[in-house]
Amino acid sequence: MSHSILAAAAGQMGTGEKVFFWIFGPLALIGAIGMVWARNAVHSALFLVLTMLSLGVFYVLQAGPFIGMVQIIVYTGAIMMLFLFVLMLVGRDSSDALIETLRGQRTAAILIGLGFAGLVCTAIARAMGSVSAKGLDAANQANGGNVQGIAALLFTKYVFAFEVTSALLITAAVGAMILAHVERRRENRLSQVDLMKARFAPGNYPGPKPGPGVYATSDSVATPALLPDGTFADRSVSKILPTRELSGAESAPKGTER
Amino acid sequence: MKYLAQDPTLANFGHDVWWLVLIKVVAVFALLLVLTLFTIMYERKVVARMAVRPGPNQVGPNGWLQSLMDGMKLPFKEEIIPITADKVVYFLAPVIAGTCAFITFAVIPFGPMVSIFGHRTPLQLTDVPVAVLVILAATSMSVYGIVLSGWASGSTYPLLGGLRSSAQMISYEVAMGLSIVAVFMTAGTMSTSGIVHAQAGGAQANWDIFGWHPQAPSWYAIVTLPSFVIYAISAVGETNRAPFDLPEAESELVGGYLTEYSSFKFAMFYLAEYIAMINVSAVGATLFLGGWRVPWPLSLIDHGVLNHSWFGLIWFLGKVLIFLFGFIWLRATLPRLRYDQFMRLGWKVLLPANLVWILILAGIKTTQRTPTGNTRWFVIAGVVVVALIAVFLWPEKKGPEAPSTEQLEEQLAQLPEGSFPLPPLDLQVPPSPRLQRLTGQREPATVGGGTDEKEN
Amino acid sequence: MSGYLGSYATLGLLIVVGALVFVGAFSANRLLSPSAPNPAPDKYRNYECGLDPVGGDWAQAQIRYYLYAFLYVLFAVESVFLFPWAVIYDRPEFGASAVVEMGIFVAVLALGLLYAWRKRVLRWT
Repeated sequence: MSHSILAAAAGQMGTGEKVFFWIFGPLALIGAIGMVWARNAVHSALFLVLTMLSLGVFYVLQAGPFIGMVQIIVYTGAIMMLFLFVLMLVGRDSSDALIETLRGQRTAAILIGLGFAGLVCTAIARAMGSVSAKGLDAANQANGGNVQGIAALLFTKYVFAFEVTSALLITAAVGAMILAHVERRRENRLSQVDLMKARFAPGNYPGPKPGPGVYATSDSVATPALLPDGTFADRSVSKILPTRELSGAESAPKGTER
Repeated sequence: MKYLAQDPTLANFGHDVWWLVLIKVVAVFALLLVLTLFTIMYERKVVARMAVRPGPNQVGPNGWLQSLMDGMKLPFKEEIIPITADKVVYFLAPVIAGTCAFITFAVIPFGPMVSIFGHRTPLQLTDVPVAVLVILAATSMSVYGIVLSGWASGSTYPLLGGLRSSAQMISYEVAMGLSIVAVFMTAGTMSTSGIVHAQAGGAQANWDIFGWHPQAPSWYAIVTLPSFVIYAISAVGETNRAPFDLPEAESELVGGYLTEYSSFKFAMFYLAEYIAMINVSAVGATLFLGGWRVPWPLSLIDHGVLNHSWFGLIWFLGKVLIFLFGFIWLRATLPRLRYDQFMRLGWKVLLPANLVWILILAGIKTTQRTPTGNTRWFVIAGVVVVALIAVFLWPEKKGPEAPSTEQLEEQLAQLPEGSFPLPPLDLQVPPSPRLQRLTGQREPATVGGGTDEKEN
Repeated sequence: MSGYLGSYATLGLLIVVGALVFVGAFSANRLLSPSAPNPAPDKYRNYECGLDPVGGDWAQAQIRYYLYAFLYVLFAVESVFLFPWAVIYDRPEFGASAVVEMGIFVAVLALGLLYAWRKRVLRWT
């Protein structure tokens, strides 16, 4: 398999390469399987990070140190960080929903998966059969280094693809900004006078809201304050908090009633 | 000439015997741990001195063992892991933070080729053609330690602190990565030993001052000054140090991402934080301050005898300590920035300035190659003129326009009868009636009292 | 070991040793720390300044963090392209063309920054 590709790439496979391959190959595989199997989205992302790191090591092994480092900086550093940020925004307990949100999603996924598997299999079959790999050593020598070689190709032969990359990146960024950013226009912003008018409008109580209850047994922000008649003051607890009623043990007198 | 320090090239690396590699690895760990303990004391002593107080002075000679004792204490403490924590990731986060912190020093050159037990070897653990990218990769991986620790704690303050902290780090990582581009452009290499070698000596300048041909400065801190300034600022932001220590804004976020960590895991984050500071100082010294090379006036002595072998370690550590002193000085002097100010500085000042500077530098370097001198100056003048025009035509920020007196009077006239009294529109505060009464009563009394006393 | 692989293997060795040192230190910590801690009832609750923790362990964060992460991706990719360019741009065989090409690339991405700027994405409120 890719074992033999590696061997061909280096002319002959050194012991060091073999050792590294057999360490990081299984690691990459564990990461890939774990990513699919993990129930928690963040664990899933971390498994993916493991796979990406292993891929970075593979690139370095195959005489492409620059692309290996780029793999780590861009994929694990930037893109997975973006994933993680999104997961943090969503919350840790949101388990994966098993309902199909897009119709025909599963069939499409299975079809595409099969197609991709076929593609990978043919590529491996070809690599094991007729193609003989040359390796990067000669290419790296030509321009005085791996980085220089990549740059020389990037700015001559692939310059169009390079420029298109920037267009692609900026399209994605602008799209993200349009979707995720709500611009507050200056005209729509309420002035201080408007805010005051709203505050003193009939039906609105202008004073500060009462604080949460502070008792010997609980001073949580979720514990409501008591009104003089002994009922809970609804306004003393923030709307976003679940109301917490004092349990029997908590509200029981603590021997101070005498 | 016989003292000339031998610069290691990339071919010198990766051939060490295994025990030499092991010695170097252990030396890197030992050096970093000792430097961390030292830096904590260095910081406390310097800050104390700047605040005119003695600072720690009880443990050991002059209190210098305080940080060691503080560190020794932590493993003996009970570890409290919140029940809501995600145990595996909670454990993983400090390991990532700690391990990533040590990577940078693997590619930092401490000196030229030296001889250790009869083996000629560079005074550097290892160097690769993409050494600076290794450093950047390690930095970007260390953000994981912070994000994951915030998330795994299962608590709101650490989560928000972790997010804030990592947003800050990635914002300044951009500026930092781009500031290094100018160094690559000047040095033409990405290996750290190569960059130090490229700063060995400037080209002979064309000037002739009474038969003395001065050397052009060779440090990239001078040659690419804007990059150095941007690097220094973003290094402070990257390491979460004052005045950019927003993750530790105690009044808002308790302790930030490490609120729920205790015992040795807390020590780990503490260690990682200080090592990060030492790392950026070491990288700054290597990329911009000539690395292990002796500074300018001393480098003239006997054809650079002070560059020879182990001397390099002295100059390198000296430069790192100077860099660290800058960090400490900032902390002792400046108040903390607000988060919006901080982000504005990163994205609206450092980043655009960086991009413009890179392109200007590229333009200058390319025109310098052209043989005819005149076109070169024309291009440079053109760039300068365009930059100046851009600066002058930059739209000035307009503040909210103050309403005119007429508008205000109109508004006042519309107010219903019996409204709340308003101060006069010219904003001149009339003298308080109470004040008048007070002075009116007092004046004669004091005068009278004074004369009475005199007469007595 | 060959020179090329040797330099990277050393790097890997450092990482492995680092991770081992920390795992060892954690084990030592487990041995050294008090073995029978005081089982106070609310000790393992998360910390909320002395108040009872309320609600979940998760807080709604701003979507803005996502945008900054996206901008970071944008400029991480840009700097990755700038690095190889910086090493070779002044080779005589390229002339001014490499500089111009990079100028266009940077300008297009700077447009993204400008857009974010005008849309007040960069203003942290």
